[in-house]
Amino acid sequence: MRAVIAEDLALLRDGLTRLLRDNGIEVVDAVDNGDALVHAVLRDEPDIAIVDIRLPPTFRDEGLRAAIELRERRPQTAVLIVSQYVEQAYARELLADGRGGVGYLLKDRVMDVDAFVDAVRRVAEGGTALDPEVVANFVGRGHDRLERLTPREREVLALMAEGRSNASIADALVLTVGAVEKHVASILQKLQLPPSEDTHRRVLAVLAYLEETG
Amino acid sequence: MIDNGAMQRFRRTVHAAAWAAVLGNALLVVVWATTGGGTFWPKWVILSSALLVGAGWWIEAVDRSPRARALFRGRGLALHAGLSALLGLFMIGVWLCSGLGYFWPAWVIFALGLAVVVHAALLRSVRDGELQERVEELTVSRAGAVDAAEAQLRRIERDLHDGAQARLVALGMNLGLAEQQLGKDPERAAEHLADARAAASEALKELRDLARGIHPPILADRGLGPAIGALASHAAVPVSVDVELAGRPPAAVETAAYFVAAEALANALKHADAARIDVDVHERGDDLVVRVLDDGRGGASEENGGLHGLRQRVEALDGSLRIASPAGGPTVIEAVLPCAR
Repeated sequence: MRAVIAEDLALLRDGLTRLLRDNGIEVVDAVDNGDALVHAVLRDEPDIAIVDIRLPPTFRDEGLRAAIELRERRPQTAVLIVSQYVEQAYARELLADGRGGVGYLLKDRVMDVDAFVDAVRRVAEGGTALDPEVVANFVGRGHDRLERLTPREREVLALMAEGRSNASIADALVLTVGAVEKHVASILQKLQLPPSEDTHRRVLAVLAYLEETG
Repeated sequence: MIDNGAMQRFRRTVHAAAWAAVLGNALLVVVWATTGGGTFWPKWVILSSALLVGAGWWIEAVDRSPRARALFRGRGLALHAGLSALLGLFMIGVWLCSGLGYFWPAWVIFALGLAVVVHAALLRSVRDGELQERVEELTVSRAGAVDAAEAQLRRIERDLHDGAQARLVALGMNLGLAEQQLGKDPERAAEHLADARAAASEALKELRDLARGIHPPILADRGLGPAIGALASHAAVPVSVDVELAGRPPAAVETAAYFVAAEALANALKHADAARIDVDVHERGDDLVVRVLDDGRGGASEENGGLHGLRQRVEALDGSLRIASPAGGPTVIEAVLPCAR
């Protein structure tokens, strides 16, 4: 697997590069601004671009804008946004085109190396990785309508919204895959969502449900 | 102040009078010429009508030009000075027409000039009074702004001290313990490392919350609409957000407007027991108006430090804050922030 990193702080750029290399992911380029990122991705055609939201020159949301541009110009490259803060609005923008191969995580998540590398691989393979904090915002909003779910089902729903597979949910909650499958089926039925094998489509369905007003 | 309709009628009258004067005087000159010349008597009529038309023209010119108004501050002094000048010129005209001689218009011009000087001096003393009042107002609001900034810095220091700094100490300690145990008891070392990671994670979360409280990144990135929208999306009560702005206001105004919305919203959520909250941000002339309305139980007051801090923040920008919160509700908090660009 080949990755490009865009991060303006050298300390984090080097750390991230080392972390990925140690876990068998080749870092073909590490740049420090949005234009260089677009250029590097179009030239090197990596599997995934890992991008900090706040980049020079304005230190606002250049990274996000560059990532959205890349989704259009080179759809084959997955995009994982990492940031010191998460905003629901940004998650919505990233997911707006409906395609998989997208992620949005707090930088804190690099501390759990295995989970982080797992998220990188999942996104590079066309899946989704949403930060638990983004998901918590969505779930908090639709709280009333989730009352018909059991507490366990709500836990499963949150992990579904993060983009995890049934196996990964089973791992996180120390359940068997069969038990998770049962919970998922029950959730989809209670919320009247279409069943889907594709985890990304599942994320979109859950988030759309939580976003509905009323 | 002369309203626009009246001013237009006045302008038309001046133009008509000017034409009438030109035609009338031309007629008089013809009459004078056909009656055999002699002393050029129409000069008196020409001089008088020039005075009248000149006065009308001057009034119109002062009204039209903002620079003239600014120069004389208001129209009163400008009109006075202009009309005095015209009268002086008229006197000189009379002196010229009446065959020179002793320059008596000097006395008239002196008197007219004196009156204008007295007028200007009076105006200046009134203006000084207004300036004095403004200085007092600014002294109070500046002291408030300094207090508010000081209180905020103290709060940040305390949050850092009790939060992130303490977590980092714990993190370092756990790393030290892990290092010590690494050879002897790898399992204990792993536990300490896990604790260290948890402490780092907590420290990051606290720093993130602190940074958001100082200046939320989404406000800088996207402006008031999305930033207030993000606040609303975290609220447990339905919040309708209506932000209508032609562009981005100046940064200081934008930040103050955001914190008015944030504090009023937090207040409503915490104390008012409201079922719904409306946040409305729009422009009114050169001002930005932030209005937060909740249908809760009312009784919000500035005893609550947050609202007092808001007032200081708003007044530091020359704005005003209005809090209407009768017992039983509803509560309206409205800030008006000047933002002439």
